[in-house]
Amino acid sequence: MLKFESVSKKFPNGQVALEDVNLEISDGEFVFIVGPSGAGKSTLLRLLTREVIPSGGRILVNEQDILKMPKSKVHLLRRKIGTIFQDFKLLLNRTVFENASIPLEVFGIKDAEIQKRVSEVLEKVGILEKAESFPAQLSGGELQRTAIARAIVSQPEILLADEPTGDLDPHNSRQVVEILEKINKEDKTTIIMATHNTSIVNHFKKRVITLKDGRVDKDQKEGKYEAD
Amino acid sequence: MKQIRSTIKLLRRSPYQALAAALAMSLTFFVASIFVIVIIGGQLVLRYIEQRPQIIAFFKDDTSEVQINEISKEIEKTGLVSQVKYVSKDEALAIYRERNKDDPLLLESVTADFLPASIDISINRAQDITQVASLVKNNQQVDKVITPENLVEQLVKWTQTIRFGGLIFVASLLSISFLIVIMVVGMRIAIRRDEISIMSLVGATKWYISRPFFMEGAIYGVIGATISVLLIYVFVLFYSPNIQNFLGPIQVFPIDPLFFVYLWVSEAFLAAFVGIIGAGIALYRYLKIN
Repeated sequence: MLKFESVSKKFPNGQVALEDVNLEISDGEFVFIVGPSGAGKSTLLRLLTREVIPSGGRILVNEQDILKMPKSKVHLLRRKIGTIFQDFKLLLNRTVFENASIPLEVFGIKDAEIQKRVSEVLEKVGILEKAESFPAQLSGGELQRTAIARAIVSQPEILLADEPTGDLDPHNSRQVVEILEKINKEDKTTIIMATHNTSIVNHFKKRVITLKDGRVDKDQKEGKYEAD
Repeated sequence: MKQIRSTIKLLRRSPYQALAAALAMSLTFFVASIFVIVIIGGQLVLRYIEQRPQIIAFFKDDTSEVQINEISKEIEKTGLVSQVKYVSKDEALAIYRERNKDDPLLLESVTADFLPASIDISINRAQDITQVASLVKNNQQVDKVITPENLVEQLVKWTQTIRFGGLIFVASLLSISFLIVIMVVGMRIAIRRDEISIMSLVGATKWYISRPFFMEGAIYGVIGATISVLLIYVFVLFYSPNIQNFLGPIQVFPIDPLFFVYLWVSEAFLAAFVGIIGAGIALYRYLKIN
């Protein structure tokens, strides 16, 4: 369970990214966070990984106030959360397999176990045949699948997707979200996807939280998104 | 082990920076090694000279053996000398004959009466030569005093200057190596910024992220120390006959091979320490993790 209680974020330059945000997201939910650029979508996601500290309010992950967590324990929070980005953030000098194995290496998992788990996850996102390719040899859709593989290989409870279809064509965009939906259904992973892709949001019929000027404008169970 | 392998892999990806850091370290420790050897050699030379009878006092002809014994005791009482050895007229003649055995002309008509009795005085510390010499000179029975005091004083001064100058020189080189390690590790942190941010995001601890950089600093140090000791070993092998020739009877070479092992171990530790501290400062300065 994720909970935002009166969360606000004001950056040092005076820009208000979020203001009095109150939200609850249950375990295993699939939520779209929508809104125009600058509405605060990315900030909302980055607050969950404590990359950004709010100016006010409380954020609870599984009943735990993550703002009270000492800095030395933040890595434990991050191990529960997988993240994917619009620009994939893959390491160009590592193969698909090596990129996907980063979290397991960090956790100190043994090589044989890494081999097994990464292969499984690459198969799940449909990119196993490209395991030895480098990012420069992949298409946009394949890059995002690799990023998804890296995000889910450690079996996180929550998967944050920040505009994951932003750089993809409609076909690849839909495939990527289908993969996310599959992960949500099969692994019961909570998925929070920030996007302004109207066709995707309207096609998948999930809960839609609309942000506007840093505030929650709408929160609909099977919502739609109509960009301004 | 895995960590060392991945650190070496990273070093191989940008070998020039690694080489610069390791060479700076090796230059520093090569110079440091030279100073260590020069200082130790200087000590050996000093010790050799200190063990020789540094002062020889010749007595007037009318001095009796009893008087000489009294004078010897007086000198021994100062506590500054390790040995006072009496050389009688007969012994002096024997020494004279031995030294000039190849020149019969010089041996002719020389009897013990021609040669003065003397005492050879060994001083504990080279610095005290002047004091002892003046004490001996003040005695009315003493005819003449020979001291190598200038030589020893010069040597003491030289070794002190070398020690001090060497310390400053090595300290400056060490600072330069230190700055180069900070710079190189800083550059590598910048190059790996994306990787660091991804690792941090997937839940790596700060220590996990920092460890390869610390290891890198230590590796620069160990490689630098190893190169420096190998160089100094070759250098010593090559030049020791010449230097030994110059030093004459003062036995400095051959240097025990164990010395180089000790030198390597201590330099490797010191260099690794410098590398680790340099990496630590670079990490503190450049590693920004949200």
